[in-house]
Amino acid sequence: MTKFLLSVHVIAAIVAIGPVTVAASMFPATARRALAGADAGRDLAVLRSLHRICRVYAAVGIVVPVFGFATASSLGVLGDAWLLVSIALTAVAAAVLALLVLPRQQRLLTAAADTGRPQPGTGGRAPARLAMYTGTFNLLWAVVTVLMIVRPGSTTGV
Amino acid sequence: MNLVRALRLAAGAELATLAVLLANLTTVHWPQVSSAVGPTHGCAYLFVVILTARRSRNPRTRAAALVPGIGGLLVLRRLAQAST
Repeated sequence: MTKFLLSVHVIAAIVAIGPVTVAASMFPATARRALAGADAGRDLAVLRSLHRICRVYAAVGIVVPVFGFATASSLGVLGDAWLLVSIALTAVAAAVLALLVLPRQQRLLTAAADTGRPQPGTGGRAPARLAMYTGTFNLLWAVVTVLMIVRPGSTTGV
Repeated sequence: MNLVRALRLAAGAELATLAVLLANLTTVHWPQVSSAVGPTHGCAYLFVVILTARRSRNPRTRAAALVPGIGGLLVLRRLAQAST
């Protein structure tokens, strides 16, 4: 049963978190282009799709921690230090995504949709700041993935 | 897929998986069924809560989503009432 739970956990992580990291990374550069307004219609459409990918796959991403907990409890490793650290980092990553990345994307999207009326918090540095938060999110995920593979202190081997 | 359709799907899955879990608990009690359907139910429950939070700003509707098992169906009924 552990094998089934772990498979779902890993597949969900690849399918749900992968698109979010890619789409979120592409968002700030596209936002900058859309705000500059050279080919605004096309860039705006791309921007909408990127934001939608981030939002939808972030919601699908719930499957990852749920099946992660199920796998951990079936392996009996819920109290291990490497897992507790991973859980904490995942919580931080989820908070960064839900509270910093997605609202800022939404704000930039609204600003790009009606250029000429600049919104608060969408000045020249807003895309750069969003890029920083997105990078933080991606870095957190990379660390969690490495922790899941290396499992420092675990006796089950790699 | 729009939000309400996704919500309908999640609400159905929430109730169906809970029914499977309880039926399994009272009859054959296969541990495999519990450990496969349990997390699925957890996901369906969380999907209902999040989709409701995105769909509605009404605090009572959001609270209804937290009811175990039938929360999704309660939310759908409240949304249907609100739109008529």
